[in-house]
Amino acid sequence: MAALTGNDFDAIKAKVQGGAKNWIKVGMSTCGIAAGAGKTYRVLEDELSKQGHPVSLLTCGCLGMCYAEPLVEVCIEGLPRVVYCRVSEECAREIVRGHVMGRKLLQDYILAMHYEEAFS
Amino acid sequence: MSEKTVLLQDTTAGSTTGTSDFFGVFKAALRESDLADNVRLVRVADMGVYNQGVVMTILPENITYANVEAHDIKRIIGVTLKHGNPVKDLLYQPKFRQMRLVLKNCGRLDPGSIDDYIAADGYRALLKAVEQKTPDEVIAELKASGLRGRGGGGYSTGLKWQFTREAAGELKYVICNADEGDPGAYMDRSVLEGNPHSVIEGMLLAGYAIGSSQGFFYIRAEYPLAIERVQKALDQARERGLLGNHILGSDFSMDIEIRLGAGAFVCGEETALIASIEGKRGTPVPRPPYPSVRGLWGMPTCINNVETLANVAPILLHGADWFAGIGTQTSKGTKVFALTGKVRNSGLVEVPMGTTLREIVFDIGGGIASGRAFKAVQTGGPSGGVIPEKYLDTPVDYDNLQKLGSIMGSGGMIVMDECDCMVDIAKFYIKFCVDESCGKCAPCRIGGYQILNILEGITQGRGTLQDLDRLILIARAMKMGSLCGLGQTAANPVISTLAYFEDEYREHIVNRRCPARKCRALLEFNIIRHLCKKCGLCARACPEKAITGDREHGYSIDTEKCIHCGVCFDVCKFSAVERI
Repeated sequence: MAALTGNDFDAIKAKVQGGAKNWIKVGMSTCGIAAGAGKTYRVLEDELSKQGHPVSLLTCGCLGMCYAEPLVEVCIEGLPRVVYCRVSEECAREIVRGHVMGRKLLQDYILAMHYEEAFS
Repeated sequence: MSEKTVLLQDTTAGSTTGTSDFFGVFKAALRESDLADNVRLVRVADMGVYNQGVVMTILPENITYANVEAHDIKRIIGVTLKHGNPVKDLLYQPKFRQMRLVLKNCGRLDPGSIDDYIAADGYRALLKAVEQKTPDEVIAELKASGLRGRGGGGYSTGLKWQFTREAAGELKYVICNADEGDPGAYMDRSVLEGNPHSVIEGMLLAGYAIGSSQGFFYIRAEYPLAIERVQKALDQARERGLLGNHILGSDFSMDIEIRLGAGAFVCGEETALIASIEGKRGTPVPRPPYPSVRGLWGMPTCINNVETLANVAPILLHGADWFAGIGTQTSKGTKVFALTGKVRNSGLVEVPMGTTLREIVFDIGGGIASGRAFKAVQTGGPSGGVIPEKYLDTPVDYDNLQKLGSIMGSGGMIVMDECDCMVDIAKFYIKFCVDESCGKCAPCRIGGYQILNILEGITQGRGTLQDLDRLILIARAMKMGSLCGLGQTAANPVISTLAYFEDEYREHIVNRRCPARKCRALLEFNIIRHLCKKCGLCARACPEKAITGDREHGYSIDTEKCIHCGVCFDVCKFSAVERI
């Protein structure tokens, strides 16, 4: 791959931001994996392929809410972006069936987060 | 009418059915108002707000109400759901107690994608530095920001860089200290796993500033995933020309490699760490000379902690003034803490310096998980101390914690409740230091062992009041005579528990009692007759067959045979075994 120059930054940013509009992100750091995020990821992968919905399944690091792992963030156009906590196998399937396909937010699994960002 | 979402939870402590009940009432009211199809009503698992009654957030307006009662529902439907206006007297502004600077992109970016990092303005600070700033300007910016080392020492990062830059040497090195070893601390692991490029960018900026062309990550081998992700990030950076020669088309060239720690706590100490990278035994050497003058292979070396380096790029991108505007007079920016122990929401929290311990433990952490009384919070790991309840309103910064006899340390924060025995805690930490002492100098090697013996005696009921003076004497000797930080600070947990909880030590010694019911050798076990259901579980579990009796007449413990193991207490389902 060619070496990065100062001119490439904006193009990369535009490309990433113009990427997938519908996505599911699984927190896959040591803490998440220890709490079962690996299994959650595989179940989501399996269920998404069964349902055939074009959603990007992504991984990310740790949000810091260890008590609520595994954490799964879901962004589907037209629905509020939410973070689900303690996502068991059952809940992972329900995220795909209920949230992605059924366009309904799941009851009793959402985690609301309150923090300020130091910069934007 | 546009679609709306209502998130709700009953945040009253101990309420288990409140949310469902309220949900039913709200749902019925929506049906009555013909809004059932336009409003998404969702029960959430955790609002992040505690003890504010029923809390709800209405989207997309993002209006939050607290302490909502059933009779408020009509107004909320009429005013907010139908017209999008707030009901003013119910409004609640959740306090943003956390501020994410280092952790901002952890949990958001794919750590395996350099493009994700670049899209989040990653490597822009590096670009700005190599294109527009001289190394001296970078150092000046960092000095002006007031950033201090996040690994525990709290030394000015800008000054450290300046000394390394000014030191004579044909080669200079940058080392990232990722040998995070304090029990209960894992901030650095999360940053390395969640956003490795932010640390690499910090190292490149350090290299540019001090005039180095080689950097090393020193990561403990117990962090396999962090190592894997940092390696992948380094490979990607090299592929994109961010490591190697002529970075971003400039004259600046640098490469970074990983070195693994083999599990020795002392290798987190900078001189021992350097010895370890050189392939020698990981033992410290006296300072000065400091590594900034004579470090790795005798060359000027800049060693910074993971979190410190992760702060560098945002400072250069947003300016020293912006960073200096966060925090307190003497401590700028934010600090990540690993909040663990008896707290309800254990995890990583990042707060501006100056946030009080109470806010961290109770507002962010949600208080004590079991509902028992708070006793103390331990900060700074084995080099730190405990802080009792009366100092909970102290704003957290380097200097305040030091005044209280503890330290900021790397950011471990262990919350303890009334069931934690302070003598036992002191014993745990000193045991840790005895195990991890490299053995090179006598005060640490022998002093630690002697303190451990005395504490062991106190918890076993063999303590005398002279032991307390002896503890202080040895602790002082270790502080003055030890070669490195490990030994100099190893006795801190003993000194600070003695300072705040001397009564508890005395209770162990004089009355042979452990107020927290933790030190088993001091406990007597007894079966409470009227609570006992005569199930016989304790008798079957007792390894010494010290519990006799039968299912008809009940059971009793033979105190002669009892070895105080506590199994009977643990297995009894009816709380019929008491500890005295």
